[in-house]
Formats: sequence, structure tokens, C-alpha cells
Amino acid sequence: MASAAISTGILSTNNAFAAAHGGDIRAAKSVDEVLKMLGATGATESGDIKIKAPEIAENGAVVPVGITSNIAGTTEITSITAANPTPFAAKYIIGESAVPAVKSRFKMGKTTDVIVVVKAGGKFYTAKANVKVTKGGCGG
Amino acid sequence: MAKSTIKLRTKEKGGKIQVKALITHPMETGIRKNKKTGKKIPAHYITDLEVTANGKPVITAEWSGSISKNPFISFKYAGSKSDSVTLTWKDNTGKSDSLTKKIGEK
Repeated sequence: MASAAISTGILSTNNAFAAAHGGDIRAAKSVDEVLKMLGATGATESGDIKIKAPEIAENGAVVPVGITSNIAGTTEITSITAANPTPFAAKYIIGESAVPAVKSRFKMGKTTDVIVVVKAGGKFYTAKANVKVTKGGCGG
Repeated sequence: MAKSTIKLRTKEKGGKIQVKALITHPMETGIRKNKKTGKKIPAHYITDLEVTANGKPVITAEWSGSISKNPFISFKYAGSKSDSVTLTWKDNTGKSDSLTKKIGEK
């Protein structure tokens, strides 16, 4: 089956990923733990990372977040939802041809900081944005 | 063939290809409980996603349960109208799906 061949291909990258981080980053329980696994502790704060997220999200199950890195040589963009039980949300490895800007939708259990870590030229940069999540859906 | 879980749209503008994709997937975190039985719903989310253009990697993503249900992703890359874009995903239960489209193909 064609799909089986494809999945083994991805599986090997996944194993390399786990090995590179010395553990399962998805199971990490705190932001510090995630940063440690990324090797990004002490990342420099940067104004060149733009996070486009709603200030108030009525529905925490679907929060659109756009991340743009204006740092030259960006190779990785990681986003962390600080207040979630497992804060690691997504890591994007940006290929040579790709523009270092990704939009996707996140889940947020409650009001949280969205922390973005960008790897460029072997160095780590970070920025954050706060998203208020109102559960009742009445925007209050 | 069953309907693909992937919806893929691409558009060329000024040498950049805009890629938008929507994937049908429950993205269960493994933390949520079934209200009726009180049992935890097992984790079921996409862990890896790869987008290639003409077989060359453009973006690789590692996702977790913190990504919303039926995930959406959008980004741009420098490419040409003749490219064909492939999106492949794999989840934590070993399921996977893949779809290839030419630029602008609906």
C-alpha cells in the first residue's frame, strides 16, 4: 500500500525528532521543559517576530494564530500555548523556499500566553502574545 | 476510494505560491473526558505533517494535541505555476493520508 510507504518515511523523521530533543516534547508539562527540549532556554526577545492572534477568543477550541518571522535565515518556528496542560503546540521546519510565516488554528483551554520561538542561524529568538479566552462564547 | 481527509488549495501570485490546507481530523488531546462514561477519550492527533513541492520539502510540521480539531494551515513559498504540491500527514495511531495537487487545481 502506498500510504504505508509514506508513513514509514515520516516515522523516521519523527524518531530523529524525539532523539534530538531527548524526550517527548509533546508530553512536556511546562514551558521551561519545552524550551529545554528545544535547546532554546535564554532565547533573545525579538520584535521581528509578529504574532497575529485575537486579543479575546470567544471559542478556545479554535483560535487562529498567524506567526511571521522577519529574522533572516529563519529555519524553525515553534509555538507554545503556555497555559495548556501540554504547552507544546507546533513546530514548523521552514524549507529554503518557504516564507517564514505560518497560519494555523490552536486550542486554548484558558487565557494564555502564546510563546513563539524562532530558530535562525543557530540562534533562538522569542516573542509572546496574550490571548484571553472567554468560555461562555458571549465575549464578556 | 474514500474521500480524502485533505482539502488543498494553491494559488500563484508574483512568484509566490500560497498554500492553504484543511484536514479532517478529531485532534483529541487524550485529556478530554467522555461526559457520559467519565472515561478519558484516547489521544488521537496528527503528529507530523509534511508539504513538498515537486518532491522537495517546503514545510515540515510537528503538531500536538494543542492544534484545533480539523486543523488548518496556510503559508507561502517561492515557486512556480508548474509545481505540484503534496501534503502528507501522520497521526499518533499510525494513520496517514496524502494528497497531491497542481498549482491552482481545485
